[in-house]
Parts: sequence; C-alpha cells; structure tokens
Amino acid sequence: MNVYLQIIKGTIDEYATYRLSFILWRVRLVVQLLVVYFMWWALFSGHNNLFGYSQGAMLTYVLFSSFVRPFVMGTRTQEVAEYIRSGSLSNYLVRPMNFLGFCASRDVADKLLNVLFAVFEIVVLYFLLRPQLFIQTDIVMILFFFAALVMGMILFFYFSLLISYMGFWTPDVWAPRFLSFVFAEFFTGALFPLDILSGPLYLIAKSLPFFYFIYFPLKVYLGQLTPIEILQGFSIGFVWTAGLWWLAVIVWNRGLRAYTAEGK
Amino acid sequence: MVISLSHLKKYYQVHEKEPGFMGSVRSLFHRKYQTVKAVDDISFDIDEGELVGFIGPNGAGKTTTLKCLSGLLYPTSGTVSVLGFTPFDRKNNYLKQIALVMGQKNQLWWDLPAQETFLLNKEIYEIEDGEYKKTLQILVELLDVEALLKVQVRKLSLGERMKMELIAALIHSPKVLFLDEPTIGLDVVMQKNMRDFIKQYNELKKSTILLTSHYMEDVKQLAGRVIIIDHGKILYDGKLDSLVKKFAKHKVLSIVLDEYVAPDKLEAVGELVSYNFPKAVIRVPRSASNVAAAQLLQKFPVDDLNIEEPDIEDIIRDVFTQKK
Repeated sequence: MNVYLQIIKGTIDEYATYRLSFILWRVRLVVQLLVVYFMWWALFSGHNNLFGYSQGAMLTYVLFSSFVRPFVMGTRTQEVAEYIRSGSLSNYLVRPMNFLGFCASRDVADKLLNVLFAVFEIVVLYFLLRPQLFIQTDIVMILFFFAALVMGMILFFYFSLLISYMGFWTPDVWAPRFLSFVFAEFFTGALFPLDILSGPLYLIAKSLPFFYFIYFPLKVYLGQLTPIEILQGFSIGFVWTAGLWWLAVIVWNRGLRAYTAEGK
Repeated sequence: MVISLSHLKKYYQVHEKEPGFMGSVRSLFHRKYQTVKAVDDISFDIDEGELVGFIGPNGAGKTTTLKCLSGLLYPTSGTVSVLGFTPFDRKNNYLKQIALVMGQKNQLWWDLPAQETFLLNKEIYEIEDGEYKKTLQILVELLDVEALLKVQVRKLSLGERMKMELIAALIHSPKVLFLDEPTIGLDVVMQKNMRDFIKQYNELKKSTILLTSHYMEDVKQLAGRVIIIDHGKILYDGKLDSLVKKFAKHKVLSIVLDEYVAPDKLEAVGELVSYNFPKAVIRVPRSASNVAAAQLLQKFPVDDLNIEEPDIEDIIRDVFTQKK
C-alpha cells in the first residue's frame, strides 16, 4: 500500500515543480467552461425550457461537468505510450511492482489535484454568477451518481490505456489518441447533454463508451433518468468496462511479447 | 550455478523501409520484413559471486542477452535460468533479487530529488527501515554523493546521475546485478570511480555481476572472466589472461636506444611498429620473442628493453576481424 502512497506523493510533487503549467491548464479549463456556460445562458434568454431542460438544470449540467470531467478523465496514462516507445517501460518491468497499480496511483494524484481545483472553481463561479443550481437531495441518487462516476473512471482508465498500448506495435499513438479526443469531446456530453441530439445520433452515442464518462453520471445526478434507464446505463457501462478490461489484459500480454525494449 | 543460459536465440522481425516519401507510402501497403538474429544460439553459465565482462561491438547482442536475463525479452528459443527462475515469468520473488542498470535509461524521477526514487524503491522492494538506512549509508559513502541527495535529478551531471541510478538499483542489495554500459558517456575520472565502486561492491556483497561495456578498460580492471560476443554468437568465453595467450600471436618489444640505428636494421629483427629515436617498438612472433630480444641486445646499443603483451584492444579487434 505504501508503494502507491509514495507514487501519489511523488506525482503531486512533480506537479508542484510545474506549478505555472498546472495553473494555466486550470485557467484554460475555466475559460472553456465559461464559454459553454454563457452560450447556454444566452440561449435560455426568453425561454424557460429548452430541449426539455430548465435553465437551472442546464447550467448545473455545465458547471458540474467541470467536476465530473477530471474525476473520470483525469489521467496520466497517455505517458504509457511514451514509456513503450522510448523503452523506459523496462524500468517498471524489472521492478517487483504492479504496473497497473503504478498507473492508477498516478491517475489518483492527477484526479485529486484537478478535482480539488475544480471544486474550488465551481464555488467561486457560483458566488460570482449566482445561477439557480439544481441540488440533488435524494441520497439514493447521490449514491448512484458516485457509483456512475467510479464506473466511468474505471472504463476511461482502460480505454486510455488501450490507446497507449498501441505503442507496442506502432510508434505513432498520437493520431488515434487525438481522434479519440475529438470523438470524446462530442460524445461524452462535455459540451452539451447528449439527449438533445436527434434519435439515431443519440442511440449511437448511447452505445459508445464515451456516453458513460460525463453524460451518464450527470444525468443520474440531475435525477432525470427513470430507474429502468439507470439500470440500463449501468448494465451497458458494465459490459463496456468488463470488455475493455479483458481486452487490456490480452493486449498487455501480447504487447509484452512484442515489446522489444527499444531505445537500447 | 546462478545464471545458466542454454542455446538462447532471440530473433527480431524488422521491417525495411525504402528511403523517401514514396518509400513511406509503399511501406504502408506492402512491408518487407527481415529477420535479425540479435542472439544466435549462445550458452554460458555463471557462478555465484563472479564478475563477468560481456563485450562486443555495437549491435553484437550484449544488451539483448541482458534483457533476456532480466525478463524483459521473451526468447525466441532456448532456456534461461537465473537463481532457479525463468526470467520472463517476472515473478516478484525473482525481481526482488536482481537489478538491471541501463546506462542510457533512467529509473529516477526526473523532476524530483533522487531520494524520492530511493524511497519508492524501499516500498517496492519492501525493505525494512533499518536495513534501508544502513544500505543507503554504505552506498552514499562509497559513491560520495551525500550532498546530492536532495538535488533534483535533472540538475545533476551525467556522472552524478549515474551514481544515483546505481544507488536506486542497489538499494535492495540484489544478488544478481546486470550492468548495461554503466560507464557510457562518463569522463575518464568518473569511469574510474564507477569501476572502483563496482569492484568494491562485488567484494563487499559477493553479488554476481554481469557487465557489458565497450570500454576495454572496464573489463580489464574489473572482470577476471570475459565473454566476447559478435553477431549474436560467442567468440570467446574464459579468463582474460588465456584470451591473450590464445589469440595474441605476437609480442611487442619496446626498446630505448643509446645511439641512432637505421630503421632497416631494426626491420631485420621483426616488424617495426614505430620508431621515434630513441624509442622503437618492434612486433615479433610469440615463439621468437626471446631470440629477438637477445638479438637486439647483442647487435644494437640498447639502453632498455621490455617484452610486452599486445594491447588487449588489439587482440580483441583481431578476434573480431578473424571471425568475419
């Protein structure tokens, strides 16, 4: 256990070394958030209801997505491709440590810092903008919300790892990762709730893993899903998670055999 | 027997790309593969506490062999056994007893002081507090890096960083140590420090060490036994002294003359390698060295004479060129 604490501590220390980068990264996210926030705020002027959302629900969705995003998608696993490409993966393989545990610990450090900042930012923005936020009071829904967050987190972890694992066979992993970012940006529901999409597009979105990163947990929080829909969401999400986990195990084992420990 | 390799082979498939843009496009659709025999049927055994030098030119297969031994590479065929384990299984009990140091790869946390990596390794290898402090103390003193423990790794010089890499790799007192080019890129003084350390460590801990290098000095100073490898095959495995006897067909006579002697007269004794009056170096066949020495002393005004073995570098170069 102490191994993982030491990794988390070291990773946070690393961020402390690059304080300015980190702060600027947060500034970028806040600006991005404000753009989306004010876009919806403007769209709602003169309307009480848009696409089935009240203004309060929509602004809650937008603000809280900045908490859900780092919780689920805060990661350092993109480094794994670089470890493989440069051959420094060897340094992890020759030590009696669990490499996945190492990656997960680094992710925890990343999430801790980013979530902490996100919460602080949301509080500040709340007092500046004074929107009507929707506060969920049903304890069961809050528990489901956190369950959905954890599921999204695990699903995203394996998804991101799998992209990095491609590094075992090809040195250019950036193209697929970038493409997945573009898809993710659209299909995670980070910019808008996915149910404003037309029927067929929504169905596609629902069958993709991205659906469970941001949109699903937020919808659970907003209490806008029926029990059936919640059950359905957890079932499909679970199948995705189990599937990607299984794939990640296979790909890792194959990858290690192909691993040529390059770069000398 | 701590390390046992039997008929180890490691072949790679490497794809050939034709030069230029069209070559890149073509290689998208049709790839030609070539098999590279990085290690081609090698066998050797190493006993406990031995310090063995593993030498060969670039691309000879040294690093590939080390990677097979430390469990990073899956052998194409053959068996590998270290401390009774099959390395590629990468059992924790195996990894706890070995260390691999790669001169060109670092395991240290780049943005943090080296100490942080030592602490991480303390946890990974489950080292007791007391044991950890004791080992760290010994290593820090041997390498003289007390003042650097709290300095960020990226601010250290290459030599200092290499010392820290060694500490990180040795903090769990491994029984078997694989050192891949530990002196690469270091200046002469630092190379010597590193060698002295490796030697002391081997004597102190009785650990088994396999060291690759292409600096002959490393091997000369450190290893009693050398394994020479080229093109994936072992050319020689044995004592360094016997290598000289086996492969050196010449001896070198160095003389200092009192008076000038015409070069052609010296040529009559043997091959004149260099002549800068008053010094001359003559190469003669091994068997004829005594006769040649006597001849020189009788015929010429020789002030001083030495019979020497040729440079080990020269012998090894001969070994490599003969086998090609």
